[in-house]
Parts: sequence; structure tokens; C-alpha cells
Amino acid sequence: MAESLEDILRRVAQNRVPRRSFLAAAGLLGTGAAIAACSGATSTASATASALASAAASQAPSVAPSVAASASAVASETASASAAAPSFTYPPVGDVEKQLFMYNWSDYINPKNIDKYKAKFGVEKFQYDTFANNEELIAKLQAGATGYDIIGPTGEYVPALRDGGYIQPLDKSRIPNWSFNAAFQDTLWDPTNDWLMPKDFGTTGILYRSKFVTEPVTSWQQFSDLIKGKYSGKVVFVDSMGDVMVMPLKLIGKSLNSVEKADLDQVRTMLLDLAPHILALDSDTYQDKLSGDKPEALLCLGWTGPLALMRKDPKSADIKYVVPSEGTLYWLDVWCMVTGAPNPNASYAFLNFIEEPDIQGDETNYTGYGTPNDTAKQYVDPTLLNDPAVFPPADVMKNLEGAVDTSSNQQRIDIWQEFKSKIGG
Amino acid sequence: MTKATSTPDTASAGGSRAKSALLTTALIFPSGLWYLALLVAPLAIITVFSFGVRAPNGGYQPAFTFDNYLHLLTQPERMAPFFTSLYMAIGGTLGCLFVGLPLAYFIATRAGKRKSTLILMLVIPFWTSFLIRTYSWLIILGKDNLGGVIANLIGQPDFRILGTPWAVLLGLVYGYLPLMVFPMYVTLERMDRSLVEASKDLGAGRWATFRQVTLPITLPGLVTGSILVFIPMMGEYVIPQILGYGRTFLMGNALVDAFIQTRNWPFGSAMAVLLIVVMLFTVSLYVWFVNRGRTVREVSVL
Repeated sequence: MAESLEDILRRVAQNRVPRRSFLAAAGLLGTGAAIAACSGATSTASATASALASAAASQAPSVAPSVAASASAVASETASASAAAPSFTYPPVGDVEKQLFMYNWSDYINPKNIDKYKAKFGVEKFQYDTFANNEELIAKLQAGATGYDIIGPTGEYVPALRDGGYIQPLDKSRIPNWSFNAAFQDTLWDPTNDWLMPKDFGTTGILYRSKFVTEPVTSWQQFSDLIKGKYSGKVVFVDSMGDVMVMPLKLIGKSLNSVEKADLDQVRTMLLDLAPHILALDSDTYQDKLSGDKPEALLCLGWTGPLALMRKDPKSADIKYVVPSEGTLYWLDVWCMVTGAPNPNASYAFLNFIEEPDIQGDETNYTGYGTPNDTAKQYVDPTLLNDPAVFPPADVMKNLEGAVDTSSNQQRIDIWQEFKSKIGG
Repeated sequence: MTKATSTPDTASAGGSRAKSALLTTALIFPSGLWYLALLVAPLAIITVFSFGVRAPNGGYQPAFTFDNYLHLLTQPERMAPFFTSLYMAIGGTLGCLFVGLPLAYFIATRAGKRKSTLILMLVIPFWTSFLIRTYSWLIILGKDNLGGVIANLIGQPDFRILGTPWAVLLGLVYGYLPLMVFPMYVTLERMDRSLVEASKDLGAGRWATFRQVTLPITLPGLVTGSILVFIPMMGEYVIPQILGYGRTFLMGNALVDAFIQTRNWPFGSAMAVLLIVVMLFTVSLYVWFVNRGRTVREVSVL
């Protein structure tokens, strides 16, 4: 009956992609993302070792300066030996390197697909480092981390990455499987589809326990009324400024990206009005507060992440997710290629491979987030495919709005901080 | 050290003095480097950043402006977390003191052979991740356990401990208690027990003995312990986030928001500098107050 620590920790750890969560990753999942330079060196060492073992083997050109001499020797050898070696030539140029360095959210690729990719292209080392939020990714790149090939940021951060010179344009001719729903092409983050390849998408919405909340919850308005009324003190918001501000802005019929002073003044009034009724601001363990047969919280402004596990537990199977009728935010996680990626051929091989319809279908089955690739849908588990929380119907989709990076607006952060100070009473 | 070994009457002494100075330098060098690289340099960087502006895509862009400080000081809602942090840290320090002093006293004077076992028990929790220990309080205080039991006892089903400032306070006291106990334990263990006996012989009661003998002797450890727990408490952010449900908004949480949610490094740096100033002021005041009281008492003893 009482939840054990193990259960909580297991769930915190299993939370697929604790979106924008800081705590969970900082302590539990481990921020020990080895610097790519470091891992680059070790992998080169092993590559050199195997080169010694079989001199005829085709070797990846090395980038680590410490073994530059031996690497160039191997590289020159490769030129003559590559004809004899099994060829992984990939459209349109070059051999696939033996390694790939990726920096991504945790548990965000199906491990089976990683194995298949490695087997298919003869990639020996697939380094998968994780970050807990986009800011961590940006901070690391700003601090000069190099050596990564592929990163998985959220769409709204791509313009900043592009302007900072951290990513390079994608050569779509090398990704023949490029096939995405029109809703995820020509996005506001990349109008020309040159810098990002869509990965997964989802929404910000309302989670509620239908066993306890019998009133209809289909709109932000109803949600807001219920918070201030009957379910005061039984509401969790995720600790994310951009997501929480969606509700008041959509309630007054504005863009969720609004930075107009008049709009934000209204947002401030509305949020301060709601503050006393909120139980918790929590992006890491809000699932626990909603779970169980006597949940602490009945309503939540949050993401779809916890749904899959909560539905499996009979005690919390009544959890419902609603995309509010006034419209809400949709996020799109994407693939980008890092400037100076050491393994470009392996990167393109991966980007194309992951969009094979059956492979992409398995990705969706694993992450539980919607795929923007329609050709993969035939391989997606029907219960997931028919879940409007994961794949919203067309009439809901048209109300969705992508977020742009508004973090430079001072008024927004002032409101957010004041709101947080007022929650405690 | 150099003073102790230098005897300026022979030639060899001059050589040994130079050698000794060299040795001193060599010994101090690593810690000096550590101090410079990990304390002075970051502090300087933060101070410089605090006068800058946010780069268009977040981060730091060089500038010289007081806007960050002005914005902070002129908006009362941005100052609120400073005061909340200050109150919570003072409360937490007092809590550690009230729990820690009897504990340290017991281990140092009454525990006998069990002394090292008890010390070990105090240390063992530190082997586990701080985060996991804090998460476990979620269960202890949760509605299935202590929180629910108290709610039933007082007949108020909506009563809860988690998500209140009291939960945060409890977390703070729990998390930092050993830092308070150890310095006090060390001073108490060295205390000459005959002083207490002498005090009793001279007719002082238990309270008078504690106030006039034990407490002044413990004072250095007590001051050290207080500072050791107060400073990290001021910057605490995990405990209010987990046990406080994000409802007790401390300085550490505001700092995380500045760096993570808005990527405004200069503004975050200004907050950090202000936090350091507040801590410096509070700690100096505290040390001055304690030392002042001590001198007066010594005079009265004389």
C-alpha cells in the first residue's frame, strides 16, 4: 500500500525523457556525460588496437591528436585496403565511420534500433550521452564541447543553435527516407527545412484522474474554474515557465508566444489569482502526486510522458489527458548535425536509417511520443496510434502552436518569479 | 612555522630559514592554487558577469551596466526569495543547534564505548546520495505514513506536511545536521570534565554550569558548525523543490530559474553576488555578536 522508495526511484529513472526536468537527471540519471573528446580518444585507442590485430581492416580516420601519427598511417592504409574490406558506402559519398557520438535526452532511442544500426553499418562504437534539458545542451556547446555528431534538441532552440554556429545544414539528398507530415515541415524554427529533421512531437495539456474529477474537463477555462473552485489545492503544474503561461495566454485568445505588455499584465493577474490553489510546481515527480488510489493531486498541467506507466497501474488507469479546446503548445524534438561532426557519414547513415518506416515505428512504440513520419504509422502499436493524446486528431492539431524562445523577455520571468513566490502563500 | 624555527645567531640558521620558507611555500602552493582557481576566479567571473547583459540567445555578453542590480533591488517580488532563504536558513541553523547540541554532548561525554559506533552511524547516511535521502523523506512524511497518521489523529483529512515550509525546514535540519554535530563534538570531547565537577562543587546548578562552563567551551565548535550549516542552507534548492513541492521559493531556486529557464547569466550572477553579500553580512554580524558576548563573559569571570 505504502509506496516504497524503490518504486518512486524506479519511476523517476524510467520516466522516459523527463522533459525539461533538472533534478532527476542531475542526481539519478547522472549527468556523467563523458566529454566526447575523451570518449573519442578511447575509441580511437581501441580502433588502433583492432587495426593492429587485423591490418587489412578498414579503419575510420581518427581525430584525436594524441594518436594522429598512427591514425594517418592507418588512414593511408585504408585507401588501399577499403576495396577488400566490406563496403558500407552510403549515399552518396564515403565509407561509414566506425563510430557515432550522440548527445540526446535519456532513453530516447530504442536500444534494439541502436543494435540494428550498428550491425547494418558496421559501426562499432555508439556513444550515447544524455542531457536533462535543452539549456544543458546549449551550455555545453557554448562552453566549446566538440566531437559530437548528432544532437536531439527541441525545435524552439534550433534558431539559437544555428545562429551560434553550433549546427550545420543537413544535406537532404543523403537522407532519401525524408518523409514527414506537412505539419512538421516549414516550421517556424526552420522555414526552409535545412537545419533540423523532426524526431518526436507532443503537447502541453491537462492530466486528470477521471475517477475523482467527474466534471467535464475539455478546455483551459474549465480547468481554471475547477482549480479555483472544487479542486483547490489538488493541482500540480510542471515547473516550466513556457508551459504554464500557455494557459492564461490561450484563455485571453492570444499567442502563447506573446511578449506584449498588455497581454502579460493580464497573465500576471490570472496567475497570481491561481497561485494559492496550487499544490506543487514539479516537473520531476508530478506523476507520483497523481498516482495511487488516494492521489494528492487530481488535476495537472503537464505533458504526456507519465501516461503510459500510469495506465498500466490499475490504481491510476483512470488518468486522462486532454488537449484543451482553446489550443495549446506543441513541441517538436528534432535531430541536428553538429558543426564539424567527426563522423558525417555515420551520421547521415543514422538519420536515414532511423526514418525507415519499421524502424521509426519501433521508435514510437518505445518512446511513446508521436512520430512526425506518417509512413511509420503502420508499424505503430494500434493502441498508441489511436490515442488522441499521442496522435491528436486533425481538428485538434490545427489549434496547436509551436513555441519560440521568449526567454529574453524580462516581464515574463518577473511574472514567473512572482508567481512562484506567491504559491507558498 | 618559520618564526618558530628561526634563530638568527648562526649562519646555518639563515640557510635553514630559507629552506623552511621554501618548504612553506611548497606546502602552501597546492592549496593556494586551489583557492585561486576554485574560489577567487569563479567569484571574479561572477562579479564581472553581473555587470554584463544577456546575449541575444542567452548567456553572457560583455557590458558595463548596473541594470541587473537595479532591477533586482527595485522589484520587491524579486527580493522575496532572499528573505525567504534568510528565514529558512536561520530557522534551519537553530534547528540543527537544538538537535545537534544534545546529540554532540551525549556522544562526547556519555556514550563511553559506543562513541565510535554512534559517530559511524552519523556518517553512514552520507554514503548515500543526498537526493535519494531527500526522496525517502517523501515517503516518511507522505500521506501513507507520518502525514496521514497525524491527519487522522487531528481529524483533518487535508492536513499534510509535505509541501509546507515545515517540511523544508525538517529537510534542512536533517540534511545538514552532521555538519553541526562534528565541530561541537570535537570541542566537547576535549572539554576538561573536572571543570564541570568544579562548577558543581562551587554550588552551581545544572543550568548555571551549562551556561557558564559547557556553553562557553563549546562556543568555537558551535560557531563553526553554525556557519557550516547556514551557508549551504542559504543556497539550498533541492530540498524546497522535493519536500517543499516548489512552494517554498528560495534563492537557490530563483538562481536555477535565471540560469536554466531564461539563460540570463548576468542577472543570475547579480543574484549570486547579492546572495554572497547577504551571507557575508549575516555571518559577520553573527561572529561579531558571538565574540562580543564572549569577551563580556570572560571579563565577568575575572
